[in-house]
Amino acid sequence: MARDKAQPCELDQEKYDADDNVKIICLGDSAVGKSKLMERFLMDGFQPQQLSTYALTLYKHTATVDGKTVLVDFWDTAGQERFQSMHASYYHKAHACIMVFDIQRKVTYKNLGTWYAELRAFRPEIPCVVVANKIDADMKMTQKRFSFARKFSLPLYFVSAADGTNVVKLFNDAIRLAVSYKQNSQDFMDEVLQELENIDLEQKEQDLPGLEQAASTESLPPS
Amino acid sequence: MMCTAKKCGIRFQPPAIILIYENEMKGKSRQRIMPVRNFSKFSDCNRAAEQLKNNPRHKNYLEQVSLRQLEKLFSFLRGYLWGQSLAETMEQIRRETTIDPEEDLNKLDDKELAKRKSIMDELFEKNQKKKDDPNFVYDIEVEFPQDEQLQSCGWDTESADEF
Repeated sequence: MARDKAQPCELDQEKYDADDNVKIICLGDSAVGKSKLMERFLMDGFQPQQLSTYALTLYKHTATVDGKTVLVDFWDTAGQERFQSMHASYYHKAHACIMVFDIQRKVTYKNLGTWYAELRAFRPEIPCVVVANKIDADMKMTQKRFSFARKFSLPLYFVSAADGTNVVKLFNDAIRLAVSYKQNSQDFMDEVLQELENIDLEQKEQDLPGLEQAASTESLPPS
Repeated sequence: MMCTAKKCGIRFQPPAIILIYENEMKGKSRQRIMPVRNFSKFSDCNRAAEQLKNNPRHKNYLEQVSLRQLEKLFSFLRGYLWGQSLAETMEQIRRETTIDPEEDLNKLDDKELAKRKSIMDELFEKNQKKKDDPNFVYDIEVEFPQDEQLQSCGWDTESADEF
């Protein structure tokens, strides 16, 4: 029954409703170092899955947060960012966002505004962190003030995927934020969507009185 | 064969890559002239460099010479064949081997983007701390406090600290 909803792709996003699963998305312009950051964090453990039909790279990671095992899927853009916009399914059910710019290229910083607006259109509440990458190329930039992060009250990380500065901290913090978001807050949009689904199912019940039982079971929100 | 490359350059007429190197007999410099054949002003410098580097007769001598350097030498030759001055060719090479910080890379096609990425990769690899480096540390934390006193990055709109 739940399967008859239009799936954006063969990728099963329902699993992100499960307690021990979180989805973290990466955003930012071309060549700001998103994949390099992923690879530095995961080191040997990385086995990206290319989903080229969806211009998407998935990195799977197992983390431990407060003694509990958490399965993390990192979503990386694989070129889709060139359209300065991501497909809606990219944002769907995401629990946290890592937004990256290149401290050597102003345009990647200016474009954060566009990325952030799109993120908030789909996910108004999820935690988001801003990442200033490539500090190894120009350490002076770590002594500068970047108002974007302050304006939206987002944490800012100065990192280098090359020498490793703050990369592990960034990802561990992002995982922690994703987990706590999932545990503590219900996104307003999630609630709206859940409501819409319920209405949809109620209508189905009316249409198909014989399936009442099955339909109401399906409509139970995931705990 | 032990071969220590000392210098590598290009001769325009007749075109040849010239390598100054030392072999086992230390202190004695030798010169190797590698003629450049079938190269026109329309040739691809990267491919020409690869072909020379993989040439069975020269391969061993060129082991220590980077592909990038050879490519650059071919670019000089190419510029010469177009009738450019040395300064013009240098400027062209500089443009092709550095990143224009103002350029919006989102707007490039795959091939051009790959070129920019390979230029960036050079610095990345230079600064990279690899797992097998003796002083490699996985988790490096450095604090960079963000406070009001800091100078603005200069990328924010001037008015009222707005982004």
